[in-house]
Amino acid sequence: MLRLAWRNVWRNRRRSLINVAAMGFGLAAIMFGQSLLISLQGQLIEKATGSITGHVRVQRSDVDESKFPDKFMADPEPAGRLLDQDPRIAVWGRRIHLTGLVSSPNASLGALICAVEPHKEKRLTDMSTYIKEGTYLDPNGKGIVMGRKIAGRLDVRLGEKVVIMAQAADGSMGAEAFRVVGIHQTGSESFDGQIVWLPLKAMQEMLGRPGQANQLAARVKDIDLAEAVALDIDQRLPPGNIRAISWKKIDREIIGIQAFQNGILTVVLVIVFMIVALGILNTQLMSLFERVREFGVLMAIGARPRWIVRLILAESLVLGSVGALLGLVVGAVLIGHFGRHGLHLPVGEAFSYFLPFPSVIYMIPAWRMHAFACVSVFVITLLASLPPALRAGRLKPAEALRHV
Amino acid sequence: MSSLVEVKGVHKIYPGGSKVAALRGVDLKIERGEFSALAGPSGSGKSTLLNLIGTLDRPTKGTVSYDGHVVSTLDADPLSDFRLRSLGFVFQAYNLIPVLTAVENVEYPLVLQNADPKERRALAHEALKWVGLTEYAERRPDLLSGGQQQRVAVARAIVTRPSLVLADEPTANLDSKTGAQLLDLMEGLNRDHGITFLFSSHDGAVLERARRVVRLQDGELKADEVRAR
Repeated sequence: MLRLAWRNVWRNRRRSLINVAAMGFGLAAIMFGQSLLISLQGQLIEKATGSITGHVRVQRSDVDESKFPDKFMADPEPAGRLLDQDPRIAVWGRRIHLTGLVSSPNASLGALICAVEPHKEKRLTDMSTYIKEGTYLDPNGKGIVMGRKIAGRLDVRLGEKVVIMAQAADGSMGAEAFRVVGIHQTGSESFDGQIVWLPLKAMQEMLGRPGQANQLAARVKDIDLAEAVALDIDQRLPPGNIRAISWKKIDREIIGIQAFQNGILTVVLVIVFMIVALGILNTQLMSLFERVREFGVLMAIGARPRWIVRLILAESLVLGSVGALLGLVVGAVLIGHFGRHGLHLPVGEAFSYFLPFPSVIYMIPAWRMHAFACVSVFVITLLASLPPALRAGRLKPAEALRHV
Repeated sequence: MSSLVEVKGVHKIYPGGSKVAALRGVDLKIERGEFSALAGPSGSGKSTLLNLIGTLDRPTKGTVSYDGHVVSTLDADPLSDFRLRSLGFVFQAYNLIPVLTAVENVEYPLVLQNADPKERRALAHEALKWVGLTEYAERRPDLLSGGQQQRVAVARAIVTRPSLVLADEPTANLDSKTGAQLLDLMEGLNRDHGITFLFSSHDGAVLERARRVVRLQDGELKADEVRAR
């Protein structure tokens, strides 16, 4: 049957090729879209968690905004021990993130002050890799790292001093001079123009909060485990107003963007599948009308009606297989090419206002999604050919043989 | 002993506005080994009767039996199986499957029977040998003449060793010489292999070759002539 189906498909070579091309390029387009989306989302998550958020955070549960936990944990050490004991965690560090004032002899600016444990932060985030001048922070020093834009606005250069002011534990304004030891350039307006980085120890001293932090940020070995790790840690935290949450509860806008993008992809997917389905339906209907007499002959020589149905479905399967194969090859080549050479996307520039986001996306395959698309093409192909197949199966041999 | 085919009180009325009565109470018996023809002008009901005997259509009234068993009331699947094992068809327009070679066309009923691939290929070659087309086995129909295509159709009809081969105007699309050759072939198969043939024609020269001619007119059986040869 497959031999006959194969030959029947190529009986009208041009029509079949158009159909196969429509299916193939449709599938390739879907694969490309899936890969682009996965790459983009992966990059977005990696940059958001890898630049500032971390995968799991322990912080006060009564903060107004999870992204900026400005309330201090009086004793973060029990939570720290839990993070230490969890083998799924690659690294964790104490942090103080606060809004404050950065002043130079020439200007004063409001900024997000991020005090970190430098040796841990180097593994927790990739900010140290963006240093363009000077060095990263010394844990015991009084250096400050800032973006090129904020340095420009403050009119300070490497080696010059700035004063940091923020509210201390007793309610007074804590102030301390820090020397600029590093200038970074991430390409992000927020990071380069609104954030400064200090050693945690110096910040604790300045605020009169020795040993305190307002967040513990952790990087897990597998980001897919972040949610489970956060849940486990949260359940084991001592009673009080501290909780552990994953990046998904902190960077909620990314989840929103993901949902939006997935929604658009689904709509595109449905449209492409409908085009494929209509193409198959059209081909098989035309093929049916052209071959009514032939089906009559097959029935006359003893083919059962369901055999005719199966023959038409087999022809669709052949079309679907060739189309899917073409789609897989074209899609894989496209993804492979842009995986190696990258794809320049203006969307990178849009994201880079908020994050150090590259404008070149290196595409990665999303095999599970591609497999789903492939299977869908098969299913759609079979479903679309079912009406003509059933119609052919209902033909009466004598009438079919009279068909001109 | 029952006849190979028994048509009893068969009527065929085609539905529609005018409700054309193509057959009106036809009774007919076909015995094993016959080489018979249905004769009559266009519209006399030859093809309709052939279709009913071939179980390609169902009578409005009456029955068609093979070996004493009524087949005209069988469901679609058993009817297909019956045709597959017991009947062979030769059509006026050859009706070979254009994408298959001659031997594949001949082999196809055996494919439907799920016969062993080697065995069915051997039987197909044998059938092609019987019709004198061994050297054309691998050609597709479009590379065969009309006469050759009709010989392939005959080979396809006999490959399953059916009880009866039905041929609807088998020579109508052939020139007289090729038509005569085809009749020679069918006659030889009937004589040498005992295959029963029932064919329709309105061509006097063709009817001359039949040993029995059943004449139809306006859907009724008008004459049943048996000739000694």
